[in-house]
Amino acid sequence: MALQEIWNGTISFSLVAIPVKLVRAVETGRVSFRMLHSKDYSPLARKMYCPKEETIVHADEIVRGYEIAPDNYIVITDKELESVSPERSRTIEILEFIDIKEVDPVYYDHPYYLVPSKGGEKAYRLLVEVMGQTHKAGLAKFVLREREYLVAVKSSDGALTLITLHYSGEILSGENLLPKEEKTGTEEKSRMKKIIKEMTAEFHPDKYADERRKKITKLLEKKAKEKGTVEAPELEEEGEEGVVDLVAVLEESMRKVKEHG
Amino acid sequence: MSGRTLWKGYIQFSDFNVPVKLHTAVKQERIQFHLLHKRDRVKLHQQMICAYEKVPVPPEEQAKGFELEERKYILVDPAELEQTDPEDGRMIEVHEFVKAGQIDPVFLERMYYLEPDTTVKEYNALAGALKETGTVGICTWTMRKRSYLGALQINGKVLCLSTLRYADEVIAVKSLELQKAPLSEKELKIARDLISQLSAPFQPQKFENEHQKKLQALIDKKTRGEKIALLRPKHLKPTAPDKLLEALKASLEKVA
Amino acid sequence: MSKKIVETAGRKLSLSNLKKDLYPSYGFTKAHVLEYYRRAADFILPHLKDRALTLKRYPDGTEKDFFFEKRCPSYRPAWVKTAEVHHKEERMTVCLVNDLETLIWVENLASLELHVPLARAGSPETPDSIVFDLDPGDQANILDCSKVALILRDLLMQMQIESYAKTSGKKGLHVYVPLNRKEATFVDTKRFSKAVAEVLQRNYPELVTAKMAKEQRTKKVFINWSQNDPSKTMICVYSLRAREKPVVSFPLEWEELEILDKQGDPDKMVLMHSDAVNRLEKNGDLFREVLTKKQKLPHL
Repeated sequence: MALQEIWNGTISFSLVAIPVKLVRAVETGRVSFRMLHSKDYSPLARKMYCPKEETIVHADEIVRGYEIAPDNYIVITDKELESVSPERSRTIEILEFIDIKEVDPVYYDHPYYLVPSKGGEKAYRLLVEVMGQTHKAGLAKFVLREREYLVAVKSSDGALTLITLHYSGEILSGENLLPKEEKTGTEEKSRMKKIIKEMTAEFHPDKYADERRKKITKLLEKKAKEKGTVEAPELEEEGEEGVVDLVAVLEESMRKVKEHG
Repeated sequence: MSGRTLWKGYIQFSDFNVPVKLHTAVKQERIQFHLLHKRDRVKLHQQMICAYEKVPVPPEEQAKGFELEERKYILVDPAELEQTDPEDGRMIEVHEFVKAGQIDPVFLERMYYLEPDTTVKEYNALAGALKETGTVGICTWTMRKRSYLGALQINGKVLCLSTLRYADEVIAVKSLELQKAPLSEKELKIARDLISQLSAPFQPQKFENEHQKKLQALIDKKTRGEKIALLRPKHLKPTAPDKLLEALKASLEKVA
Repeated sequence: MSKKIVETAGRKLSLSNLKKDLYPSYGFTKAHVLEYYRRAADFILPHLKDRALTLKRYPDGTEKDFFFEKRCPSYRPAWVKTAEVHHKEERMTVCLVNDLETLIWVENLASLELHVPLARAGSPETPDSIVFDLDPGDQANILDCSKVALILRDLLMQMQIESYAKTSGKKGLHVYVPLNRKEATFVDTKRFSKAVAEVLQRNYPELVTAKMAKEQRTKKVFINWSQNDPSKTMICVYSLRAREKPVVSFPLEWEELEILDKQGDPDKMVLMHSDAVNRLEKNGDLFREVLTKKQKLPHL
C-alpha cells in the first residue's frame, strides 16, 4: 500500500547509506468535517487569496517572503533555502548512537516512519535488527523544508521510527516550579508506593478510546436518519476531446443495436 | 524560566488528591515566512473559497457538514456538536501504573510540567513514589472541552504530564508492508560492533539549531543586496546490497 | 449471552448470540447466516479478496438500526488481514476478507451485507471492472431494469465488450464489465459509464435516465454511473441483503434474463439464500469471469 511520501533521501551511518522515504506514523482520529457554503452546500476549500486583486492565487504564483519591515519583504527561493544546509537536505546522517532510555520524554516532538526505497531493504533491515537488539537509537540532523530537525531514529516493531526532538534550548526548566522547601509526606509516599504496586499493569493503549469521537459518530448517524443529507451542485467537468469520440462510437453502436433489434 | 499556568486540576488515585497546575514545557522560536503574490509581493491570506462559485465565503455563510457520500452532506449545527463536548472537570484520574519505558515514544504527543498547587507535601510524596517504583501513571482528564489520555511521570523532581495519542491514531507498522531480508551473522556482528563504537551518552545540549542561524545569515545577506551562492543538495550513493558487508568492514576500520 | 467457541483452520473464534433472530419476520438466526456464508464461502471469497470491506452491521436484526463501518474494528483478531487506505483524505485501516475465518468473524459481527469497492486495496485507483448500477425509480421495477440491462449488453457487444449481470438483491440489477488490466482509472471508467448512460437516455428517453434527481426517475431506470468511483462500494455478489427475507445478490445468465424478461414476473428475479446455495453447488460461480476476463475500453 503506497503511503504518502513526505520526503525521500538517504539515511547513513559511517560508510553505509540506505535509500529511504519518510512517511507518517500518526493520523488524527478526529472526525473530519467539511466546511460548506450555506447557500448552495458547495464544499469550501482553503485557498491563498490576494486581498489587493481579489483573486485566488495558484501555487506557481506564490513565493516565500521574510518581512524585514512592515509590508516590506525579501523573497527566499526554494533553491536558496536548500543552499543553507545542502549536506542535510537529502541525507539523514547519523552522528552517533545513544541509549534510547537516556532520552528524556520532554525532548520528543513528532514521530514518522522511515521505509526503505528500492535496493535499501537489506541495509534497512540490518539497522532495524541491530538497533532493536542493542536498544540504541541514532541521533541525526536533517532539513525538511524550512527547518532543521534534530532527530532520533529508533527501531520499533521491525520498522525504523524517526522522532523529531526539541533542541535543548527550547526546553523550559521545570525545577523552578518547585518551592524551595523539600517537605515530603513520608507516610503518604510509602502508602502511595503500595497502591502503585497494586495498580501496576502492562501498557495496553487500545484499552482507551476517544469517547467524543464515538459521540460525534452517533450524532451523525442520528442526523442522517432524521434529516437526511443536503446535496452540493455538481461541478462542470472540463470538456475533453476523448469524450466526443467516445460518444460518437457509442451512438454508432446504439444505432446498430436498434437496427438488429 | 517556565511557561504560564494553563490549567489547574487534581491528580486523583485511590484516596489521594494532589492539586497541580499545568505549564508548558517547550518553547519554540522559528523564523517566520509569509506567502506573497509573486508579481507584486502582496501578502496573501487564506480564504475559504466556494468550489462552485469560486468566490471567498465569509464566516457567516459557512456551514459545517460531514460528507456521507460524494456531494452529500449531513449538516451539523455547532450547538449540536457542542453537546458532544465532554464535561469539564478538574480530575486527572489515574487508572493504572505501567513500568517507565513501556510507552513507545510514538504515543507521546505533548508534555506539560506540573507545579504543586496549595500543598507540596503530597506532590513530593507522589514524585518520590513514582521515582522509587520506576512507574508512570496512565490517566485521563478533560481540559478545555477535550478529553485527554496521558502519562504522569517524573522528570528530575518535577511531575510531568504527557498527552498520549489514542491507539488507533498510530499507524501500524504492519501497514508499511516491510519485507524481510536475510542477514548473515557476520553482518549483524560487525554492525553491532560499529554501533557500539559510535555510541555516546545522550547530550542534547551538544546540538544547536545551526540551521536557524545560517538561515538568518542568508536573509541578512540578501537584505543587504548581496548575491547568494546556490549550493546543490548533497545526495549520497546508496550502498548496494552486495556491498553491505564491505561497507560495514570499512566503517569499522575507520572508527576502531 | 450465548457463546460458542469454534475452530476454523486452526484458529479459534468465539461466536456469540447464535440464536438471535436477524431476520425476525422470516425466522433466520445468526446461526443460519453463518451457515449460509460458510456454504457460499468458496464462491464469495474470490470476490471479496484484497478489497477494503465496508461492514454494514445489523446487531439487532434487519428491522432495527444498522451502521456502516469502514474501519476494521480495533478488537479484530491478530490474523485478520488488513490494508491501509485513504478515504476522503483520511487514512484508515480496513479489513480484507481473504479467508473463511475472517468471513465467519465478520458475520459474527452481524455484518449481513458485505460491500466492497471495484478496485483492490493495493491498487485503489484502477478498478477491475466497470459497473452499471440499474436502479428503478418510482413506478418502475426490476423488469424495467432487465430491459435496460439487455440493451446495455447489446450495446457493449457491438464494441466487442462482454458484460455480466447480477441482481442487487433489492430492486435493481448490476451489470459488470470486467477489465482486469490495471490500466483504466476510475476517471476513465466513470467517463465511459457516464457517456454510456447518457447515450441510453437519449435513445430511450421513456425508459432510462442518467440523472440522479428523484423526480426525474419516476417510471424510469436510473443508470447510476457514479458508482465508478474509488470512494464507492457495491454489494458483493453472493452477499445477503438485509430485507425482510434473506435475499442474495446473485448472478443471472443473459439467456435466463431474456426468459425472465419475457415471463414478466418480477418475483422470479428474487433469489433466496437456499436458492443461492443450491444454484452455487450445481452451477459454480457464474461471476468468475468478472474477476479474470481482460478487456479494453474503446477510446481510452
